[in-house]
Amino acid sequence: MQNAKDTFYEVLRSRLVALNAERTIVLRGVLRPGVLVEENELLSEVARPDCFRLRWSTAEVNGEGAMPLATLNCSIDYETAGTTMNGGMDRGRALASMDAELQGAANTSPRNALKMNYSGLANGAAAVAMQTSVWWGEVAFGDTVTKDDRLARIATVQLMSYQEAGEL
Amino acid sequence: MGELLQSSDGAIRLADAAMRSGGGRMVLLRLAIPAVPNNDAEQLGLATPGFQDVALGPATFHKANSVTKLLVSASAVHEVLGSLGFDSANVLFETAVGLFFDGLLYKITNSYSSQAIGVPYCYWLTLEPPTR
Repeated sequence: MQNAKDTFYEVLRSRLVALNAERTIVLRGVLRPGVLVEENELLSEVARPDCFRLRWSTAEVNGEGAMPLATLNCSIDYETAGTTMNGGMDRGRALASMDAELQGAANTSPRNALKMNYSGLANGAAAVAMQTSVWWGEVAFGDTVTKDDRLARIATVQLMSYQEAGEL
Repeated sequence: MGELLQSSDGAIRLADAAMRSGGGRMVLLRLAIPAVPNNDAEQLGLATPGFQDVALGPATFHKANSVTKLLVSASAVHEVLGSLGFDSANVLFETAVGLFFDGLLYKITNSYSSQAIGVPYCYWLTLEPPTR
């Protein structure tokens, strides 16, 4: 399942960057695209604004077929206070921009990608292409929630992949 | 005393002196060492993070009910901001891993400043002790 999660993140990140390269964050002192996987980062009490935060929730494996089919649910949290120059009056527009970027990145065809194994990166090796793919459903957008001076939303998407032999 | 409070610098010195005389101590602010830029391993949780501890002081504790707050000298915070290149104290405390003292790492859940003439003279940090 880890390879499916990593692959989905990489695909989503590259698509989001293609749509809006200016959405960036500084995390651990480094400028990077405005999307992160919460479980891959240091624990933080702060909900970072103006970026997409992926959180993996439920997972299910159906072993009835020739290969086990893994289904993973991903929550994508994002929130914005708008821009300071506008006194936050554009926070609705800023949230709509983020909605559009996520819609464009995740709901655009193809909603699949060749699964990659990134574990070698830890030792300086390259990512390795696997035999199967990952694919995902349409992103479902939740209600707009007001959090103090910010507008927030949680979108959810379901990711599926066959588990290959020996795969984590 | 009145003249001392006429400038924001005076308020900072006054706060420092009050904290020192009130048993102020040093604490360590734990920060993550900058990650490697454009590195997928960093973003996929495959890298090992490094940490650095920065001394902050004088600092005094304030405990009311079950809430632990730490009052930190603004001069110490501003020194760290300048040397490490942070935009603001808020960013510094939001990106910090926690505060380390007496062998325990406390999470920083909130921060705000007390100000004189628009300039902070001390910072209040709300802390959450580690779960045992």
